[in-house]
Order: sequence, then C-alpha cells, then structure tokens
Amino acid sequence: MGYTLNRQQADALLAALSKDYTVYAPKRFLNQGRYSATDVIRYAEVERFEDIVWQTKSDYPAKEVLTPIQQALFYFTEDEYRESKGPKKPILILARPCDINAQHIQAKIYAGNGGYTDLYYERVREMVKFAMMECCGGDDTCFCVSMGTNKTSDYSLAFKFSDDGVQVQVTDNAFASYFGDLPQTDYTPSFVEENELKVTVPDLSDKEVRKALKSHPMWQEFNSRCISCGACTVACSTCTCFTTRDVIYGDNPEVGERRRVTSSCQIAGFDQMAGQREFRSTAADRMRYKVLHKFHDYKARFGDSHMCVGCGRCTHRCPELISISATVNKVSAAVNEIKAGLAQK
Amino acid sequence: MNHDINVKKMRLNCFRQSKVPGEFMLQMRVPGGMVDAKYLSVIQHIAETWGDGNFHFGTRQTFDITGIKYENIPAVNEYLETYIREVDEELCEVDMNMVAHEPHPWDPKSGYPTIGARNISGCVGNYHCICGNINTFELARKLENIIFPSHYHIKINISGCPNDCNKAHLCDFGIIGVSKMTYHAERCIGCGACVRACEHGATRVLSLNEGIAKIDKDPCCCVGCGECVRACPTSAWTRGEKPLYRVILGGRTGRQTPRTGKMFLNWASEDVIVGVLKNWQKFSAWVMNYKPEYLHGGHLIDRAGYKKFKELILEGVELNPECMVAEDIFWHETEYRSNFNVKPIEMHHTAGPQA
Amino acid sequence: MMNPVQPKPCTILDVHKESAHEWTFRVETDMKVDHGQFMQLSIPKIGECPISVSAQGDGWLEFTIRNVGKVTNVIFEKTAGDTMFLRGPYGKGWPVDQFKGKHVVIITGGTGLAPVRSMLNLFASQPDMVKSVHLISGFKNEDGIVFHKELEAWKERFSTIYALDNDTKDGWRTGMVTAFVKEIPWDSFGGDYAVVVVGPPPMMKFTGLELLKNGVDVEKIWMSFERKMSCAVGKCGHCRIDETYVCLDGPVFPYTIARDLVD
Repeated sequence: MGYTLNRQQADALLAALSKDYTVYAPKRFLNQGRYSATDVIRYAEVERFEDIVWQTKSDYPAKEVLTPIQQALFYFTEDEYRESKGPKKPILILARPCDINAQHIQAKIYAGNGGYTDLYYERVREMVKFAMMECCGGDDTCFCVSMGTNKTSDYSLAFKFSDDGVQVQVTDNAFASYFGDLPQTDYTPSFVEENELKVTVPDLSDKEVRKALKSHPMWQEFNSRCISCGACTVACSTCTCFTTRDVIYGDNPEVGERRRVTSSCQIAGFDQMAGQREFRSTAADRMRYKVLHKFHDYKARFGDSHMCVGCGRCTHRCPELISISATVNKVSAAVNEIKAGLAQK
Repeated sequence: MNHDINVKKMRLNCFRQSKVPGEFMLQMRVPGGMVDAKYLSVIQHIAETWGDGNFHFGTRQTFDITGIKYENIPAVNEYLETYIREVDEELCEVDMNMVAHEPHPWDPKSGYPTIGARNISGCVGNYHCICGNINTFELARKLENIIFPSHYHIKINISGCPNDCNKAHLCDFGIIGVSKMTYHAERCIGCGACVRACEHGATRVLSLNEGIAKIDKDPCCCVGCGECVRACPTSAWTRGEKPLYRVILGGRTGRQTPRTGKMFLNWASEDVIVGVLKNWQKFSAWVMNYKPEYLHGGHLIDRAGYKKFKELILEGVELNPECMVAEDIFWHETEYRSNFNVKPIEMHHTAGPQA
Repeated sequence: MMNPVQPKPCTILDVHKESAHEWTFRVETDMKVDHGQFMQLSIPKIGECPISVSAQGDGWLEFTIRNVGKVTNVIFEKTAGDTMFLRGPYGKGWPVDQFKGKHVVIITGGTGLAPVRSMLNLFASQPDMVKSVHLISGFKNEDGIVFHKELEAWKERFSTIYALDNDTKDGWRTGMVTAFVKEIPWDSFGGDYAVVVVGPPPMMKFTGLELLKNGVDVEKIWMSFERKMSCAVGKCGHCRIDETYVCLDGPVFPYTIARDLVD
C-alpha cells in the first residue's frame, strides 16, 4: 500500500500515530552544536511534520531511543532493589536503514550474548516498530554500501520526505487504519546504491596477522591526534558499552537509584579496576581496540556482519577530524605490509 | 611640495602625517576586520597609483596605504567613494550625512568625514573560529552606524570569546562574546572532559560530583567561554539560545596611564550593547562641554567618574534579565610618574557643561 | 522477563580478617557455584564489583575481598548480620572434571589464591580425586599473606612451596613464584598433569613463559583473569578482549586462549 501526503496530511498522520505511539525522529536543536551558531540533530519525540529532519543525517544515532545515554535500572532503599518501569506506550522510530540495521547488531549483544537477555533493552525493543526514512544519500562520511547496511526490510512504514510532504509505504497492516480513505499511490522505497566513500575491510582472519597488527606502528599516530574524548562512540550507531552508577537522592542518603550510563572504550579508565593500572593506557591502544572491534572482533564472535554500519557519525562528530574510513584504509595498508612480511619468512 | 598643510584637517580626513613632509598614509575603515576580498584590488590600485606601492595592516584593522602625496589626496578621496559607499553605507547602513547624530551633508568625493570613532576591530569570531561565541563582524557592522561618523573618539574591540585574542581589555569599550551554558544532565556520562577543559582553559568552575557522577558548577566565576561545550562528547553542555556579551571598559595603551579595562557589563544582550553605544555620543558631548577634543573614551570616563558615566550611558537602556552591571569600577593604572594625578588644581580637567 | 542483573539480599554470617587489606566475608545463600566462578557484590548507593567465590559450604559462600575501591570500602564497614546483595554466579570456572585423576600444579600470586581456594579445599577433602597437588603460593610480603590456617593445613596434604617476593619468613622461601617452577617434578608426571596459574597480569604472563621454558605442555595450563566489569553478563563491554568476554567465556581460560588475548 502506498500513499502520498501533503504537509497537512502528514501532520494529521503524525497526530494520529502519536495517539498510539510515542513517535521518535531526528529533530533539530538550535544552537546546541559543539561550535556556536551550529545545531545538533538528535532523536526526540516529534509532533509536527516540520520537526522531522530528513534532509541531513542526525548527529546522534537512533540507538538513543532504545538505549538512552542514561537510564534507571533500579530504585533502591536500604534493603530493596526495585526494578525501574519500561515504556507503556508502543514506540515508532523514524530511522534510516543504517540505524535500523544497527539495532540488529546491538540486539546480538543485548539480547543474545552469553545467553543473557538484557531486560532493559528487550522491554523497549519489543515495543519498537520502525518507520524507515528513505535515505536521500547521506553525506561524504557515509559508507553504508561498503558495510552492506544500505538496505533493510525491517520496517512497518517507509517514508520518503520532500518539502511538500511525504510518500508512504505501509508494509505492516497494523498501520493501514491510519490512512483511511486516502487514495493509494505507488511508492516503493529505494535504497542508496553507492556512496562517495568506499571502504574495503581488510581480511583479519589470520591470527598472526592480527597479532602483528596490534603492535603495528600505525596506531602511534593516534597518541598525538586522538584526545580520547569518546565522541565517536557516543555518536556510534552500534556501540553499546555502559557503566553502572549508583546515585543518591538529595537529602536522603538511603534512597536513590542504580543507573546505566553510556561509557566509552576511548575514555581513560574504561578498563581500569580499582587500585590497578589500565590495560589500555594510551589513545593508540584505545583506538586499536575500537577499530578492531568494529571491523573484526564483533564479527568473529557473532558471525554475519561487522559491527560498523558505515553511518560515518564517528567521523562526523570527531573534534580532531579523525576519519574512521581513512583509519580502516590505514589498517588495510598495514595488513598488506604484514602479510607481505609474513610471506617472506 | 606644499609645505603649508593643515595636518589636523588631514588627520580628520583619515590621512596620517608622514615623517616625509607632504606625504600621508590613508586609513580605510574595515568594520570588524572583515570585507570582501575583492577590495584587495582597490588597495592595490591606490597603493600603486598614488602611494608608494606598499600596504600596511593597521593596528586597528584598517587598510593603511603609505606614501600618498598631498596633492594626490583629492584623487584618492574621489576613488574612495565606491569603497566608502559599499562598505560603510551599504554593508553597515551608515548615514554618511550625519555626524554625531546631527545632520552634516557629506561630499562623497571628499573621503572620510571624520576619524573620530575608530575602526571597530574584531577577531574572526564564530564565522570561522571553533572557540568563537559570536559573529564579530556582523556585530561590528551593526555598531558602525551608531558610532560613525562622529568627532568623538571611541575605540571598540570585539572578541568572539573570553580568550580575548582581539584585546577587548585594551580599548575604551571592549566587547566579548559569551554564552550562558545549559547543562543537560540526562546526556551527561560523567566523563569529566568539561571539568578538565575548564581547569586547563578557563576558570576551574566545574567539578565532578562523585556521588551522582554529574557536574557541579560555580556559576559565579564562569566566564561563559564555552570550552565545556567544545569538550563535551555527548552535547550535554550547550550554549544558550542567544549569544550574550561582556563589556570591558576603559582599557588603553598610551604614554601616560596605560591600563587594562574592567568589567562594566556581563551577560548583556545585543540590544543592551546597541542601546549603551547609542548613548555614547551624548555622554562624550556632555563630558567635553559639547566641544569634541582629540581624547579617547576612557579618559572621558575618568573625567566624569564611573558613576556619572553609568548614569548617562544606561539612560533609557532596558537591561535584559541576565545582565549584570558594575556598581563601581576600580582601575589599576600604570603610573610612570609617581603621584601622577597630584598636580595644581588649575591643571585639573573638567567634565560636563561649564559656566 | 528475568532480569539477570537483579541483586538478591543475603545476610553476612561472618567476617574474617585474612590480612590488613584482605578480609573474607561469609554470606548466607543457597546458590550453587562452580569452583572459580565469580559473583557481583552489590551495595546500594555505592555500586557493584565482581568477586570470585573463595570458598563454599552448605548454605554459604565466602568472598575474600581486597579493600581497594569505593565499593569494597563500604563492604569493609559491614559486620555479621548486615545485608549484602549478590547476583550471579557468572562465568566459567575451573574444569575440575578435567583435573580428576591428574597431577595438579597450582601457582598463585597474592590474592590470586582466592579463586583456587575452594578447589584446593575440595582436593584436600577428597584426596583420591587427583594424583597429587603441587602448590606454589607467592605473596609480596608477610602482611599480604591470606588464608594462614589453610596454608598450614595444605602443607600436610599437598606438596607446597610458599614464598615471599623480597622478604624472609621461617619455613618460607624468598623469591618470585617463577623461580620455583623448575622445582616441580614435571618429569615424574608422565604427562598426566594440569597447571593452574592465578595472580596479577605480569605474574601470570611470566609464569606462563616460565612453564613453557620448563617444557610444560601449553594445552595443559589454565589461568583466571580479572577485568573491570559492570554487568557481568556480556552487555557492558568493559571486560571484552578481542572477541572474548571475560565475564562469559572466562574468567578461567585455557592458556592457549589466554596468551593470545591482547587487551
């Protein structure tokens, strides 16, 4: 089923959907960018068609809806942990294919790894339906095609936005009723078939190659370039790492909550145990750890895909202009060098 | 060679006397230090046609062209018309037929009508700079038509952020772009990057509250620079919606009493800055008994006293709710000569209308 | 839906001071734990920390805790009768079944003795389970010695070498544990042995190399890792090394895997 809606009709649709769903989409926050007179685009509840930013990619990923930067796990009193409550209302997330594919990757960790299902992820995930936003091409940091995340069929609705309104494809009958008597039109979403940026992920299946790569001098560059701020992992569509923090409420030290707060392998102290030294104490170590997770380790554990979806947000948000695609290319060059060296032996 | 030249008249016309008799240096206004690069060919033309072929960056960001012979000044002024019209009249919406808010017909072939209010200088600001909180030259262009043309002297320096690269602390009226930050605690991951940034680059007003893994702030000493925003990996710190300004008053260099300026306004809105500067001429005229002298603004404040200045300069200005105003200002001057100010009473300067 | 990070309240039965900085807490619980597994100890308003089970009995578990962080600081204020929250057990413990009928060599550094303590007590109480037990236990100095009573008892049942790094003590040797690896009668084992190594990362690294130098079969060595953890169920990412999660795949690893893990 397809429909073509003008702006008023799109607003009406959004109003109707909002009765049954909490609708999240990329939204512009004026002047909240890192630099003055720049904006931030991040996921938030939207009420009107014009709130939805579809023209450019959001600075922060859709994962913030499912795994917010901060959430309560338990509320505690002196002798009791009481579980926090999950969402009551179903959730509709407007997301590009990269962000939808990212959720399949996050789910492998949250809802699969080690046979444990994370309650806090799962209780939100089972309330979520996706409205796929047809991607208008991304930008010069995107490389979804290289990572195979440019396409998805995991959506209930597909939207193609324009200044005049929106074309809609309904693939989930649960949404048919929102369109009532509107005349049906032909709309099948198309997907980005080529990015300006192409990334070839090096073959790291050889243990000896990986071992040599870990101590390769290529990582040293990041000791002077990377400031270990973690902006890349916060902006990453798939990074899941978090820390648990207990918080006391104001004037009653016996009452408080246990929170889950986003953390980052790029920030000093991520692997530091009380009273012990860090295992990865340099920016080079941390960069190597992140890059290999995204382009080898995750796939080695979970199988079908790399962890990186090629959304380019890490590059986009890096204050020191470190590009993930350029880094992967450097890894490729290092791997070629290592392989040539091993072949000579 | 004409050796009978009224050099004061030339100075008023923005031609500065050279040590070579009969030669002058033209100073072209560049409000906020930013203009279209096409004007470089105008400078080149003037320098090669009437000057000595050289060009100097004026210390107040004017285009300075040296070695112009007195007899060529009319030709240079005629050629300048386009530049003055495009930059001052159009870009800055200056009414060239007013001087100090009084009608005064301008002959467009005669060059600059006054040197009074000096070129407003600016750092590049947030047009380019990652630290800048404001667009410096847009502000300069808005202020140019308030202070120019006028015979009353004022030096305005605009800095995009409290790093003050453009030395707002060393001019009569220094404007610094600041921001009141918003803390979105729900986005804070407690990494402490802002705390370190503030410690290293600003005033150490942030600290990590270990109990709640959130940031505590001492708002009193925050200079509004935005280093916390730059450092934050999650956009938990953001700038306020509207840029605000700090005004540093009465700074100066000079042979007698150089000093750094002191804070007059903090967290002032653009409207307040505009309103205050609209009162500048009135204040200057009052201090000097309505007869302009070659004297910069800081000295006028000294004569009137800060409290009188405050009374006249804030007249009719509606302060934004955040705006703070100095109750008093205590400058610290470099006195090259001990007891510089202790002198015969008849040598004292006067302020205000004299009988 | 089951919540794998829900802590359960347990009563502290006893607090025993092993050394100035290491105390053993006995906690009342029916939870069954494999030797070498760990649990998350949880203190409301402070946080959680992973601690290996250092002994177990009918209706209780013991944790030997070094007071080094904010959570352990608060745990050290607790006394018998107080509540401690637990969740777990987590991870893979020692492959005790594979050790059965073999000569078992256990080499520990400092509190690294805690994760093997319950297994040592098992071998002590069921001497027929293994052919022999050789224990090399090293501590930095006398203040660092834990499980005094058991160390004495094990002397009777096992072949033991106890050592202080740079200090002297009657009946104890002086030197790093690596120095004593060659004293183990490897040749007498006929290849039928298993080696367990636990201690700080550098100690495990150098002990591993020393074992190989002594001709020990790389396939017969096991180590237990300690890493920062938040969730202990493979979600938070802190303990991940390469494609391995220490909380899920460890903390006990065969040396063939452990030696290739680069943090």
